[in-house]
Amino acid sequence: MRSAPSTAPDRDRLPVTVLTGYLGSGKTTLLNRILTHEHGLKVAVIVNEFGEVGIDNQLVIDADEEIFEMNNGCICCTVRGDLIRIIGNLMKRRDRFDHLVIETTGLADPAPVIQTFFVDEDLRDQLRLDAVVTLVDLRHVEQHWESEEVQEQLAFADVLLLNKTDLVEAEALEAIRQRTRAINPLARVIATCRADAAMDQILGVGAFELERALEIDPEFLASDHDHEHDDAVSSVAFIEERPMSYRKLERWIDGLVSERGPDLFRMKGILQIDGESHRYVFQSVHMLIDSARDRPWRADETPRTDFVIIGRDLDEPALRAGFEACVA
Amino acid sequence: MAPPQALVQERLCGTCGNAITTQAWSADGEFLAMATAGGELLLLDFRAGCEELLRGERDSSLDVLGFSPDGRFLMAAGQSGELLLWEMGGTGVRPMAFDPVPLQAGWLDAAAWRPHGALLALGAGRRVRLWDGEARALREESQELERTVLSVAWSRDGQRLAAACHGEVLLWRPDDPGDLPQRCATGSAGVALGWSDQGTLLASGQLDGSLMLWPDGAAGRGWQFSGFPGKVRSLAWCDQPGRLAPLLAVASTDIAVLWSQQDRGAKGWKPEPLVLHEGRVNAVAFAPGSSLLASASSDGTVALWDGRGRLQQLLEGDGQGITCLSWRPDGRHLVAGGDQGQWWLWPVSLPPSARSRPQPSRPQPSRPPRSGGFAP
Repeated sequence: MRSAPSTAPDRDRLPVTVLTGYLGSGKTTLLNRILTHEHGLKVAVIVNEFGEVGIDNQLVIDADEEIFEMNNGCICCTVRGDLIRIIGNLMKRRDRFDHLVIETTGLADPAPVIQTFFVDEDLRDQLRLDAVVTLVDLRHVEQHWESEEVQEQLAFADVLLLNKTDLVEAEALEAIRQRTRAINPLARVIATCRADAAMDQILGVGAFELERALEIDPEFLASDHDHEHDDAVSSVAFIEERPMSYRKLERWIDGLVSERGPDLFRMKGILQIDGESHRYVFQSVHMLIDSARDRPWRADETPRTDFVIIGRDLDEPALRAGFEACVA
Repeated sequence: MAPPQALVQERLCGTCGNAITTQAWSADGEFLAMATAGGELLLLDFRAGCEELLRGERDSSLDVLGFSPDGRFLMAAGQSGELLLWEMGGTGVRPMAFDPVPLQAGWLDAAAWRPHGALLALGAGRRVRLWDGEARALREESQELERTVLSVAWSRDGQRLAAACHGEVLLWRPDDPGDLPQRCATGSAGVALGWSDQGTLLASGQLDGSLMLWPDGAAGRGWQFSGFPGKVRSLAWCDQPGRLAPLLAVASTDIAVLWSQQDRGAKGWKPEPLVLHEGRVNAVAFAPGSSLLASASSDGTVALWDGRGRLQQLLEGDGQGITCLSWRPDGRHLVAGGDQGQWWLWPVSLPPSARSRPQPSRPQPSRPPRSGGFAP
């Protein structure tokens, strides 16, 4: 399923930050910081656990998480019905705020929230997903590491806040950083104490803008992953210097998502296409695929293809073989 | 073909401070209320020629409002999650506000008065609550649905109530507590519900881009018409009988579609797309007593169509998107609201093609609203 591109220009669409994190990871602390911080933005917040945000603000709106299966219960077509209704109402007050933050419950799968902004026609036209920010409780994450929710929240993140640095030793922080990296090499990782990340690292990130360069941790690309962690959710990254065939890639990706869509959380790629002076950019969330012809390769760049897949039970050799078969 | 005769020659207009979300006329056509996304509630009293701001601007939106058909009450609700009610005191008298009724169910945006009397059905989270104008209180009993109620609609005779949520439409008789609700599966979320005037057909506009229709008072198996370009966000039945069924108009993305029943088979319903608007069609409404259809769009226009889908006139909204519209019960005046707070009131003369049927028997005042105080 290809998500129809929005017809509205980016600057006219309201940026949305999705805030996820397991129970007790510091979401409320971060929300309160966002609402009180002098960043000059008027922020509207949709919360699922009302009453926790200690700030009296008419732009804090309660919504009861309600999943709508759009297409025979397919995981890739599930959206958040409550958000469609509440944001639909809220957007009539568009002039009152500049940014929307959605707090999910600690046990929520972020995928339906993300998919809502690509699937619903009104939300797609009026808003744009800015970033998924996931908070990780450094003190307790090890206890919850096996939980599906925690792994999904890590996998979908664009920004990972490793929070409560004051409660763990440096070695523990480093071990958790390594382990989150293996799951999600795309996210920017920031260590925080009391969720004290700089506001510009959380709001206005633009992580879903296709033309943004793929920021893969170079260390991750370079290292030969020896999978010391046995997490169900992991990632693979491919680099290819030879030009790729657009048609082969398209067929491979379409086949991949139709076969493994529910297990493929996010994919991102910058592609060097055979016979093309421009780079191509690509991203997906489950089965929603978005791709575009981007700018020309610059003189100071070596054209190549970077491709990252984050998912569950990934068969790296098979994926690598499939990817390499797409070389032109 | 000669251009159609202009149906609209003049207009009144005014402004509110925020986007207008909804508008409603009293049954006698003497009062017009409109609410905004900034929480304002403006009441126009045509007999007295004055306007009154019943609720000033505040930080919470109003999204649904309506007069009870007996003319005694005005209701409004929205973001605050409270049911607001006023007792109408007649022309020239400021309506008296009741204490707000908290529902504790989040944002309220689905409500409908029973077609006769003063019984209000209100979607409150997963429940449909009833506010009874006789007792002046919420009834204890409520109907619970599987999911959040997105739309409610009364049958014309007021006997049956329908409520839509994701996955089903529930139908029941609120006057008969022993009546087991009937469940109609839908497969997606119903966002716009409407009974035909004779009460035999129920239509539901669905989030998944389909239209569902249940014949015979929803006793029969429903039909599903798919393939709309987007969600079916608004629908309206014509109150004039058709050969088999009245006309049905629905809105989806930037088109309105006029449906008519040609035969009784599953494929008997024929769509006539009305392609003209260049932005989302937010509302469609037939003029009471005729087949004249109005469609309102985010592109800043209101189009008037005859019952065969021929464009009669295009009205412009001064550059702001049109969010809502409502016909005066006399079918001769149309009000529309804009996304930047402006409203327009157009006296409309009916085209010959829409005038073919006699007026309904309901008594209607023939006098048009006066322009006192509302001229631009």
